[in-house]
Amino acid sequence: MGSAILSVRNVTKRFGGLVAVNRMSMDVRSNEMLGLIGPNGAGKTTLFNCITGVYKPDEGRVFFEGREITGLPPHVVVKRGIARTWQKVRPFKKMTVLDAVTVGALLKIPSVESAKERAREVLEFVGFPKEKFARLGSEITLIEHKLVDLARALATGPKLLLLDEVAAGLRPHEMDTLAKVLLRIRDELGVTMVIVEHVMRFVMNLSERIIVMHEGVKIAEGTPKEVASDPRVIEAYLGTKPV
Amino acid sequence: MIDPAYVTQILINGVLMGLLYSLVALGLALIFGVMDIINFAHGDFVMLGAYLTFLIATYFLIDPTVTIALTVPLFFLLGIAVYKAIIKPVLGAEPLIQIAVTVGLLMFLRNLALAIFHAEPRGVPYTVFSTPITIGPITIPLSRAAAGAVSLAVLYIVHLLLTRTRWGIAVRATADDREAAALMGINVERVYYTTFGLGTALTALAAALIMTFSRADPYLGLLYGLLSWVIVAMGGLGGVVGVLASGLILGIIESFGMSLISAGARELFLYVTFLVVLWVRPRGLFGRR
Amino acid sequence: MVKPVALLGGKSALYSIIAIAIALALIPLVLGYNMYYVYLAAQVVLVTIMVLAWNIIGGYAGQLDLASSGYMALGGAVSGLLLAFYNVTPWLGMPLGALTAAGLAFLMGYPTFRFGVKEVWYALSTAALVVILQRVFWLIYGSTEIYMPIHRWSWYHLRFSRYEPLYYMLVVILLVTLWLNIRIKNSKLGYYLTAIGEDELAAEALGIDTRRYKLYALLIYASILGFVGGIYVNLTSIVSFRMFDPWLGIVVAVMGIIGGLGSIAGVFMAAVILRTLEEYLRSMFGATIPGIHLLIYGLLLIVVGVLKPEGFAGFLKYFRRRLARGGSGG
Repeated sequence: MGSAILSVRNVTKRFGGLVAVNRMSMDVRSNEMLGLIGPNGAGKTTLFNCITGVYKPDEGRVFFEGREITGLPPHVVVKRGIARTWQKVRPFKKMTVLDAVTVGALLKIPSVESAKERAREVLEFVGFPKEKFARLGSEITLIEHKLVDLARALATGPKLLLLDEVAAGLRPHEMDTLAKVLLRIRDELGVTMVIVEHVMRFVMNLSERIIVMHEGVKIAEGTPKEVASDPRVIEAYLGTKPV
Repeated sequence: MIDPAYVTQILINGVLMGLLYSLVALGLALIFGVMDIINFAHGDFVMLGAYLTFLIATYFLIDPTVTIALTVPLFFLLGIAVYKAIIKPVLGAEPLIQIAVTVGLLMFLRNLALAIFHAEPRGVPYTVFSTPITIGPITIPLSRAAAGAVSLAVLYIVHLLLTRTRWGIAVRATADDREAAALMGINVERVYYTTFGLGTALTALAAALIMTFSRADPYLGLLYGLLSWVIVAMGGLGGVVGVLASGLILGIIESFGMSLISAGARELFLYVTFLVVLWVRPRGLFGRR
Repeated sequence: MVKPVALLGGKSALYSIIAIAIALALIPLVLGYNMYYVYLAAQVVLVTIMVLAWNIIGGYAGQLDLASSGYMALGGAVSGLLLAFYNVTPWLGMPLGALTAAGLAFLMGYPTFRFGVKEVWYALSTAALVVILQRVFWLIYGSTEIYMPIHRWSWYHLRFSRYEPLYYMLVVILLVTLWLNIRIKNSKLGYYLTAIGEDELAAEALGIDTRRYKLYALLIYASILGFVGGIYVNLTSIVSFRMFDPWLGIVVAVMGIIGGLGSIAGVFMAAVILRTLEEYLRSMFGATIPGIHLLIYGLLLIVVGVLKPEGFAGFLKYFRRRLARGGSGG
C-alpha cells in the first residue's frame, strides 16, 4: 500500500436545505482500487463532482498529490491528473469513436496525428472492437459507450481515475469483461482508481478496500468482508435494523 | 432642478408598463421553468394575438378587451397544438435544436403576418379606455391603468393556481424533478401541454391589453420575445414574484431612459439592462437555483 | 516537416477549394458581366462568407450566435466612416473593423462563456447586441444615410465603377474562410470546439478550458465579419443604422443550421442555395408577398429541427459514407 494520492478533508456540499455531502473525509492510497458504495442518494456522485471541480464544495478541502485542488475548474483538475467517467454516459454523438477518444489524448499530445495514434492504442487496450472505431457516438451500444467513456478519460493520461457507476446497466458477462479491463489499467498502467457503485457485487470482487456512504456521511470503511457484515451498512441498505 | 411631479409621472408610466411586461413574460417563465424548453417564438404569439384582436374587434366593432373571451381559449388550444406538433419532438434535444425549431416558428409567424397585413401597423377602431385620468399634474391614460391592473390581477391568479391547486402542485413538482414527479404518479405529459397552453393563452390576454393603447405590427414579436427573455433572465426561476419584480424594474428603467435620453432608443435600455444582469448575475437576480 | 497538401487539409479539400475558386471566378463571365447579376452574385458570396464564419462558432462550438450582422455592420461602419469622413483607405479600415468587432466580441464572450452558464443566454445576448448596436448608431448618426465617396474610383478608396473587383475580393475572402474552416476542423482547435459543441461538461472533464476555446472561435468569427464589413459598405455604398439588421443575423444562423452544424460542404450549399432562392422569390413575389423567403426558411427550419437535425449535411454524409466504403477506410 502506497501513501495517499488523494485526500478529502471535511468536505460539505449543500443544495438549498439538503446536505448532499456532510463533512466527508477520505484518503485514496496510491495504486489502490477503492470502492465507494452506498444506496441511491448517498452523495457519492456529488462527492465526485466536488473533487473534479464540477461543484465547488461549501466547506472542506481536497488535496491531490499533496497540493490543494479545492474549487479548481474541471479542466485544471484533469490537467493535474484526475480523470473521470460519467454515471449517465455523455457521448459525443456526432463524432466517431476514434475522434472522441482523440479529444482526450490531445490533452498531453498537441499533434492531432499522434493523438489519434494514442487514441487507437487506448481503445485497443480497453478492448473496444477495432472495426467500430469509425462508428459515430450515436451508433454504438451501452457497453461500447462505457468503454469509450473509459478510453476517453484514460487517454488524458491520468494518475487517478474516478469511475461513476461504470457497471450500471451491464449484463453479468459484460461486467466480467469490464472488471478485467479495470485490473489491467491499474496493474499495467499504474492508475489509481475510485469506483462508485450502488450495487455492491461489482466492487466487492474488485476492491481491496471499501468506503460506505449514507445520507452524505461515511458510515463504514474496511475490507469488503468487514463492510458487508457491518450492521450500519446493512441497515443503510435495507432501511431497517438487522434482527 | 428635477420636478417631483415629472419624476412621479415617469415612475407611474414605468410601473404600469412593467406590470404588462410581467404578464407577457409570465407564460414564458412557466414554459421555461417547467419544461426547460427554449421558446424563441413567445413574442410572436403576442404579435399573432394582437392581429387576432384587431380582426375581431374591427369586425364586430367591440372593445379589444372583450375579444379575450374568444382569443384566450383559442390560444390555449393553439398552444397545445404547437406543443404536440413541434415542441414535443424536440423535448430533451440539445438547446441549439430547440432554439432552431422555435426560431423557425417565429420566422413563419412573423412573415405570415407580414404577408397578410404588410408592414403598416393596424389599430382597433374603438376602445372604452381612451380617456385619461388626471390627478393634479399627473396624467394616466385609462388604457394603461387598466392594462396594469388586469396584469397584476392575472399574475396573482396564476400565483394562486400554482400554489393552491392540485394542478399547480403537479406543475411545481414537475419543474423541480421531472422523473420524480412521474414516479409519484403525476401525468407529466398533461402538465407539459397545459403549461404550454396556459403560457400561450396569457399572450393573447396581454395582446388584447396592448391593443387598447397600441397597434399591431409584425415587429411586435421580436420586441416582446426578447423582452420576455430578459425578464426570465433577471427573474431566474424565482416564480411569479421574480417575474413581477423583474418586469417592474425593466418598465421603470425603460420609462426613465425614454423620458430622459431618447424615446427612440427604447430597446437600448431594455437590452443593456439584460447584458448587465447576465454579466453580473448569470443565474438571475431573483433565481432559486 | 508538414506537407503543403496536408496544410491545406488533405488532397480532397485542396481539390474542392480549387474547383470552387474556378467556378466562382467564371461566374461574372457566365453572367455576361451584367451589373445587376454580378451584384447579386456578390451578395450570395457575402452571405456564404458570413455562414462559413458562423460555422466556426455555431457549427463547431455549438454556440448559437445571432450577431453576425452586428459584427459585420460594426466593421463596415468603422471602415466606411473612416473612408467617408477622413478619407482613410479601407485597406486600413478593414483590419481596424476586424479589430473593433473582435474587441466587442471579447466583451460579449468573456462574461457569458463562463463554465456552466446556459447557452440560451448567449443566444439572447447576441440577438440583443445587434439591436443595441443599431440603437447606439441611431443615437449618434440618426436616420441619415452616409454615402461612400462617389466617382473616386480607385484601389485606394476600394471604389469601382463596376462590381467585379469587389466580387473578386469577396471570392478571395470566401476561399480564405473556407480554408480556415477546413484547417480548424482538422486541428486540435477543431476537435476541442466539436467536443464543446457536443457536451460542454464532458469536454471540460477531458481537460478543455471551454471558455478559452469558445473565445478563440468567437474571435475568429467576429474578425472575419468585421473585416468583410468594409467591402460590404463599399458594395452597397451606404452606411446607416439599417445595416445592423437583427434578422440577417438570425438568417445566417438559420442557414448554418439547415446546412448541418459543422459540416463545411452542407453549410456552403445551404448558403448558396437559400440565398439564391431568396433572390428568386423576391423577384417573383417581392411586391405581393414580402418576406416569403423568410416564411419558407421558417418552415424549413422546423422540418429540419424536428425530423433531421443533421440538416443538408445528413444527406451529404450518406453519399460520402457510401463512397468511403468503396475506397480505403480511415
